[in-house]
Amino acid sequence: MMRLHYAPGSAHSAAVRIALAEKGLEPELHKLDLVGYEQHSPAYLAINPHGIVPLLEDGGRKIFETALILEYLDDKCPEPPLAGNGPRQRYLARKWGKYVETHIAPHLAIARWAALHGKVPMEAEAGLDRLLAYRRELWLRAARGFDREQLAASTQAILAAGDRLAADLADSEWLAGASFTLGDIAVFAHVAQFTALGLRMPKAVEDWLVRVAARPSVQAISDDLFPVATMGPEPGRWG
Amino acid sequence: MLDVYTWEPNANSGKPLFCLHEKGVPFTYHYIDMGAHEHHAAQFLTINPDGTIPAIVHDGFTMTESTPAMEYIDEAFAGPSLRPQDPYHRWRMRMLLRYFDNVVAPSLAMIASNRLAAPRFVGQDPADLRAKLDRIPLPERRATWEKLMFQATPAADIAESERRVADAIDRFDDILRRREWIASRTFSLADIGVFATFYSLPTAREEQVNDSATPHLMRWLRACHARPGLQAALAMGNGFVTQRAAEVRERLGVAALVDG
Repeated sequence: MMRLHYAPGSAHSAAVRIALAEKGLEPELHKLDLVGYEQHSPAYLAINPHGIVPLLEDGGRKIFETALILEYLDDKCPEPPLAGNGPRQRYLARKWGKYVETHIAPHLAIARWAALHGKVPMEAEAGLDRLLAYRRELWLRAARGFDREQLAASTQAILAAGDRLAADLADSEWLAGASFTLGDIAVFAHVAQFTALGLRMPKAVEDWLVRVAARPSVQAISDDLFPVATMGPEPGRWG
Repeated sequence: MLDVYTWEPNANSGKPLFCLHEKGVPFTYHYIDMGAHEHHAAQFLTINPDGTIPAIVHDGFTMTESTPAMEYIDEAFAGPSLRPQDPYHRWRMRMLLRYFDNVVAPSLAMIASNRLAAPRFVGQDPADLRAKLDRIPLPERRATWEKLMFQATPAADIAESERRVADAIDRFDDILRRREWIASRTFSLADIGVFATFYSLPTAREEQVNDSATPHLMRWLRACHARPGLQAALAMGNGFVTQRAAEVRERLGVAALVDG
């Protein structure tokens, strides 16, 4: 039996739920409340010491990192295929899965925190002591707030991501070519939040967002797509 | 047609070379001299407008992300499989490569480039350096090179990289205490990804990586250095990497199978 720990408002969680729906899989769901900092509760930290969602438990094994959970689901349940048809499509789908975590998610977390006036309440601040050092550091940075320079860099990175998406969508319906893949799922859940934060995307991207949003798998979890002021699970690439 | 545009058989540059030699796939190697900033020059930018290496072009299809490209090579060409069959071990392979790509390899690159590349820029005309920076397409790469050229990498970042490397050495020694290879019982892309950067540790960090401190990592390094495919890739360098690999083999007592 599979069990998914997830939270509404977490783009990474939404991506995993979309992939599960595409596959027709219905794991047991454990919903966490990010606004109430439930991901930092001692009970959840006992399951995942990193204090992040999503986490998939499968037969006692813990599977994490969103893009890699998506690939795991496709390896384990190959029908319908979502990793792409042939090595070229699979390369492109993986390229986008990686791009999300190094170039999109960390900047979205910062832009979102600023746009939604994120604050760490006193009781949550106390819970930071329970976190691993790198997670505590990230939350302390968020609690202090991000400076204008960092915000400008993150906004710039998001707009650059929009241009890259538009380039790959210029002559194909989906990000990795002719069929919908894990790459579309991984990217969509984040880009859907850009528009909610008032970050405009090129037309090719806006049109693609509409195509993805029309899929039944996305409609089934559409309540989870709204942004919440929380720090993402991804540190991006160091250095 | 398979063309690989890359620097030395080292770190990200080396991943396609190691993979292709392990699979036994013929290819054309185009040497891009990173020291001469050839990866930021107009000729290379026509192949990869991002100015990053490696770039792999297979029948007109260009790949510039080295880890997804390794999976492509394993899928698209005949030869021994370099990925575990079981979904869980395949996930482990990808998860450990991700940790290595995002955390470990950039830490080692920061330390090495500050020691080896940064001093070469001291005393150079700042206007020339600015002109070199202006040719770098990606803002995050430009920021890294700017810090190198003007000796501006914060000492705290280098110390944090040292901490991350020491932590990774312990982690991989522990992983290899429990498993023969990094992801599972079989040699995989995770071994290639880690070896591409860790191959030199027994001489480069001999105080941290040796038979008493990290016996399991040393056992694995000997097994990797003894593989004909990995040796053949290391022999393709233009100088110091190939030389360094020969010194490491000698230190480990591993026989050379391929002429350097």
